[in-house]
Amino acid sequence: MKKFAIEYLSGVIASLQQKGKVFAPVKEKDGFYFREIADPGDATLDFYNTVMSPKHLFFPQTEDMIKYRINKEGADSAPVPINSGPQILFGVRPPDVRSFELMDLLFEEGGIIDPYWVDKRKNTIVIGYAFDSVDPLDFYNTFDIHAADPRGSDIFLVRKDRTVLARAFTGKGEALLDGLAGLENASAADEKAFEDAVKKGPGLKTRKLDLNGVAKKLEAIFDAPYWQKASMACLNCGVCTFVCPTCSCFDICDETLFRDGRRCRTWDSCMFTNFTLEASGHNPRTRAFQRFRQRINHKFSYYVSKFGVTSCVGCGRCSRYCPVNIDIFSVVEKAKEV
Amino acid sequence: MTDFEPRILGIACNWCTYTGADLAGTTRLKYPQNVRVVRVMCSSRINPSFIIRAFQLGADGVLVGGCHPGDCHYGTGNLYARRRLAATKKLLEFAGMEPERFRVEWISASEGKKFAEVVEEFTGQIKALGPQTKFRMERIKTAEAAAK
Amino acid sequence: MTDMKEIEKRLREEAKKLLESGRVSVVLAYGKGCDERHPMPFAAMKPEEADEIVFNEYCTPNLARYLTKYPAGTKMAVAVKGCDSRAVVVLLQEGKVNREDIVILGIPAAGMKEQKTGKDVDASLTCGLANPVLYDVLLGQEIKGAAAESPYGIISKLDAMSGDERWEFWKKELARCIRCYACRKACPMCYCDPCFIDQTKPQWGDKTPTFDGNLMYHLTRFYHLAGRCVDCGECTRACPVDIPLNLFHKYMARECEEMFGQKAGMDPSQKPAMVDFKVEDSDTWLE
Repeated sequence: MKKFAIEYLSGVIASLQQKGKVFAPVKEKDGFYFREIADPGDATLDFYNTVMSPKHLFFPQTEDMIKYRINKEGADSAPVPINSGPQILFGVRPPDVRSFELMDLLFEEGGIIDPYWVDKRKNTIVIGYAFDSVDPLDFYNTFDIHAADPRGSDIFLVRKDRTVLARAFTGKGEALLDGLAGLENASAADEKAFEDAVKKGPGLKTRKLDLNGVAKKLEAIFDAPYWQKASMACLNCGVCTFVCPTCSCFDICDETLFRDGRRCRTWDSCMFTNFTLEASGHNPRTRAFQRFRQRINHKFSYYVSKFGVTSCVGCGRCSRYCPVNIDIFSVVEKAKEV
Repeated sequence: MTDFEPRILGIACNWCTYTGADLAGTTRLKYPQNVRVVRVMCSSRINPSFIIRAFQLGADGVLVGGCHPGDCHYGTGNLYARRRLAATKKLLEFAGMEPERFRVEWISASEGKKFAEVVEEFTGQIKALGPQTKFRMERIKTAEAAAK
Repeated sequence: MTDMKEIEKRLREEAKKLLESGRVSVVLAYGKGCDERHPMPFAAMKPEEADEIVFNEYCTPNLARYLTKYPAGTKMAVAVKGCDSRAVVVLLQEGKVNREDIVILGIPAAGMKEQKTGKDVDASLTCGLANPVLYDVLLGQEIKGAAAESPYGIISKLDAMSGDERWEFWKKELARCIRCYACRKACPMCYCDPCFIDQTKPQWGDKTPTFDGNLMYHLTRFYHLAGRCVDCGECTRACPVDIPLNLFHKYMARECEEMFGQKAGMDPSQKPAMVDFKVEDSDTWLE
């Protein structure tokens, strides 16, 4: 185990940069975002959670797949090579770490392998970071995640006043941590402090939802008038889906300018009217409440029947950034009573 | 910048400015060839997004021509256009675009000479300003660099 | 200044009365969210639902946005604060709602707070109007006295910049856009379906959140709101990545006001500036 003083953070980031591209929380306006670090001084650990989830480091909002040039016969095209190179994701909160595993189910283990996701995932070292406070909108306890949950992280960080304790949990985490210049070795007391912090994690309580029977219940109330009522305030913007760590829908678009173009995938949102609009003109979900229902059901029902887990980690982002304060926790809680 | 030949989009109304441009041609007036004219039926047909799009696609300047206010073939089209284009000009200016790159002129069918003069003057202005880089799309810049 | 609790009480009473009498079938107001700081827009449809209406200092969303979500001809009541009422006026001017279909419940609003931060709403970012400009019932006492700040004061720092500096400013801001479209969805004036940016024939701008597409989307949206924006600030409040869109909207509003001599949404008998003209409009605007 290692440790460093928080004042030395930029030094740690600088030595991480020797090992690959580093993505860490950076303050921008009133929020924090995972950004590729150019100047190590930009990175910070003084944040609660980022506005955008870190999913974009494995699943960028827009990603080129094919480049093409239109000619007389048709088009010359070439796939864009998939080769991300090593990257280090620094300071990810436990629910977000968990979200990567949920996305693995879809992109890697669900029978269809997404090479773009897999490549970045295997090239990335995840450095988790324990919460030391609770936001009232979070509900990650529902999913058996606690505030200092190191599961899924290659290296996990715990804050102890002005010191950051770092322990490796996987082989690649250990190799990275050992080879990192400028860190101090942790003492036995530090080891104890780390374990205590992890043990104390479940003591920080978030809201908790009883998920028992929710998936079946949502199936049963598919046609209930509840959805019109619950979605009344919904503006059908895409904030919830874009900040969500487990929303994975994307659209593939061709962007051509004169003769040159690219085929890229870009995040789509089930909240948009154009979502799954077919070329025939048929739209399976024309009404706002249907799209709203789709989002809730996808996470709490369809994902459960497909992969056996709920596709939500309770990070609270969708509730926090919803312009009209729709709270997914309350929506599901009330659905249980329908 | 001496060899810089600006690309200017001209949008001209069918009844006045386009006919004026024709007149300039038939009277064999000489004016720079930098303006590519697109004919629209009325200046009020111009969607301000055309102008933004033109700048994005690589125009160094945009010249809009319509009938003199009061002379619109459709009565009031250019009076609406005046407000719209005025707002567009303010919009471009606040976004940081050089306002001189966008010009609106009322040119009637009989003012072939004015058309030639405006084009001459505007081309000179844009030449002095140099290439428009702000709105130009990344992909256009890349393609242009490759073409060189 | 009327107490928030008093406004809440009167809102409930009015809503109940309107729903009981059958004058309206929907009352657009605020309801309970997950906690006090997160009230949600709420549509009461039965008299007994009127008691679920709440009003507190966090009830900032502009409910005029919901008027165009109901089929034309629906009888509705809507609770509005100062700038929200201006949005209703624009909708009336543009024929999106009929005056006889709606009952406007005016709220003289003061002391509103930001949901994100819990701080008082920054007066320099508002439209500066405390009382609704148009209402059928005023729920509380009119707030006397002029606004502390001009609604356009805040843009002077951008006016002072050179064109290149402004370009750098907007470039940086608009590059951060994630294209969630919360701005247009929260905007009471953005009721187009489909929005120009969602169209594919022609495709006006890229769907991907590249800077070029963002620029096209935002500039066109700023233009579409010229002379119509009521400066409610919903776009900026809704933006998850804190882009100060309202600065551009305020600028366009100011310029339109100066050029065309009318402020958006103040008088239902006026035509909106951009679908109107005067023969004596000045050519100097174009210079």
